[in-house]
Amino acid sequence: MNAPGVPGPPPEARVTRVLVIEDDRQTAEEIAACLTASGFEASKCFDGPAGLAAAKSQAFDAITLDRMMPGLDGLELVKALREAGSQAPVLMVSALSDVDDRVDGLRAGGDDYLVKPFAPKELVARLEVLLRRHRRSEVETRLQVADLELDLVRREAYRAGKTIELLPMEFQLLEFMMRNAGQLLTRRMIFESVWEYYFDPGTNLINVHVGKLRRKIDGPGLLPLIRTERGQGYMLHAP
Amino acid sequence: MRLSELWRTTTFRLSLLYGLLFTVGAVALLAMVYVRSAVYLTHRVDDILAVEAAAQMRVPAERLKPTIDDALLINGRNSVFALFAADRTRETGNLTTLPAGLEPGGRPIEMSPTPDFPAAARLIARQLPSGEILVVGRDINQLREIRRIIASALIWSGVLIVLAGLVFGAALSLGPIRRLRQLQEANHDIAAGDLKRRMPTSKRGDELDMFAGAVNYMLGEVERLMGEVKTSSETIAHDLRTPLTRARAQLHRLEQAPKVLPGEIAGVTAELDEVLERFIAILRISELETRARSAGFAPTPLDRIVSQVGDLYQPLAEEADLRFQVVAPPLPPVDADPKLMVEALSNLVDNAIKFTPPGGAVRLALEPGPEGPRIVVQDNGPGVPQGERTAVLQRFYRAERDRLTPGSGLGLSIVAAIVRLHRFRLELQDAGPGLRVIIDCHPAPITY
Repeated sequence: MNAPGVPGPPPEARVTRVLVIEDDRQTAEEIAACLTASGFEASKCFDGPAGLAAAKSQAFDAITLDRMMPGLDGLELVKALREAGSQAPVLMVSALSDVDDRVDGLRAGGDDYLVKPFAPKELVARLEVLLRRHRRSEVETRLQVADLELDLVRREAYRAGKTIELLPMEFQLLEFMMRNAGQLLTRRMIFESVWEYYFDPGTNLINVHVGKLRRKIDGPGLLPLIRTERGQGYMLHAP
Repeated sequence: MRLSELWRTTTFRLSLLYGLLFTVGAVALLAMVYVRSAVYLTHRVDDILAVEAAAQMRVPAERLKPTIDDALLINGRNSVFALFAADRTRETGNLTTLPAGLEPGGRPIEMSPTPDFPAAARLIARQLPSGEILVVGRDINQLREIRRIIASALIWSGVLIVLAGLVFGAALSLGPIRRLRQLQEANHDIAAGDLKRRMPTSKRGDELDMFAGAVNYMLGEVERLMGEVKTSSETIAHDLRTPLTRARAQLHRLEQAPKVLPGEIAGVTAELDEVLERFIAILRISELETRARSAGFAPTPLDRIVSQVGDLYQPLAEEADLRFQVVAPPLPPVDADPKLMVEALSNLVDNAIKFTPPGGAVRLALEPGPEGPRIVVQDNGPGVPQGERTAVLQRFYRAERDRLTPGSGLGLSIVAAIVRLHRFRLELQDAGPGLRVIIDCHPAPITY
């Protein structure tokens, strides 16, 4: 699932198991198919109580959850899950682009919120980012992708040993991209994670910010590290 | 008109109540007149009787009988004079027996007509020194007549007042009942779907008119909202038909084609993405409209919001070869949802950058206004024609210029919804050339 040469889970690691809780069967099937195609093992539950029971009884690495299910609000389910001691990251999928306080709480808890309608690739990308953030246990002080280095303590960036001048926002953008190196990042994911705004930024805004960063990182004579995934987003990875 | 309907009207009940109150008052007044005059007349009779008895008692005993007989000759028709022996046998006078209850020296009594004296009379008795009993009395028919007249006046006037009250009440209630009928008919028509219909009002401006006026105001709002919903639905349907038709045509062509090139499928996907993008914007607007007013509101320094949006869009403006000026002086904070304000300003600045040709200028400024801070986003692009300026603020309206550019085209609708949520004011002006959008960040008072 990762581009060659990119640091990912060790090869002997077991398959990542994802629980899909979604009351619309066709959507559930599509999400599961998409996850399977990306190398995950997907289990499905079609209502809230069954989903909660499954999440409590088996160990899942991540959960995708429909916000609006008959009988049980997804946010309540997450609460019950956390109370039961489960730490699995949750990706909430909702028809509401709601930015209410409870959703803010969800995001602050390290989980994510995806608005329907969504592209299946976006769901997988968000899940990967969630999992990666979740697995990162020790505090990192330094990030490195090929000859690009980021010193998180001194807040400095180097390419091929030379310092790169970055504005604070550019530093945050680069940090997010390097933390998720080898991973497709959609414009909306970048906008939400780096700027923490949850509305549609339009196509061009993020392109311009990434473009500016790219001119600083991928200088003339250097191998390009930031790759554009046409119509989808960006990926930073070693050449 | 049914009687129960009449009974339920306020006017009728009020007239009836007033009639009853008036009757009670009139009865009390007449009763007082009656009691006072009756007491007065009785006293006068009693006084006369006492004087006459005293006069008779002064007559020497041997002359008393002839004196009584003389008095009877003169006044026997309307006076009583009688003398009884100590053993209560009649000696002379126009009474055969001493009436029961009449005590010598006691209180006066009233006597019904008897064969001896054919009229009601009031009597007193006195004991003479000889032991004889003298009875003096007077006809009191006149007094009884007066009592009767007053009592009948009481009854008749009471009956008349109550009847008149009923008739007047019914007559006065007819008007309101007819008005209510008209209101009910209008209401029936409106409920059946005629939103143009209004409640009838008169020129009087009474309570029914006030009520009908309030209902008419509400109907106006409902009609406007229904119109807006209808327009919105039509706008959405019209807007979505184009990309969906194109996607369908492309799919149809791909079905016929012997070989499908990867780029062709991407074309269809792009069309559908556009549809989805518009749907997301539509959902967003609906969500903003149904959101609880003050959720997420906090004192917000607008200068910080303006600078953030300025930083966010600076690179985009540079890339589009525009001069981008951001002015954010520190001003007192206003009650607002900071995230939504960023979203609104982003949409405005994004629009300004999108529609201003290279070499132009975009200005984002926070200014102190007469009532509170205002945010101005100005460009020197083509602007929005006068006739379209109010339309672009409507729900789901896509300006003509948006139809040829990428994006949902609903940015201004989103801005308008956010501004409405804050009860701020949004204004579009001609910047000659270009468009000037002003958000007056002073919440309007709530009016009904």
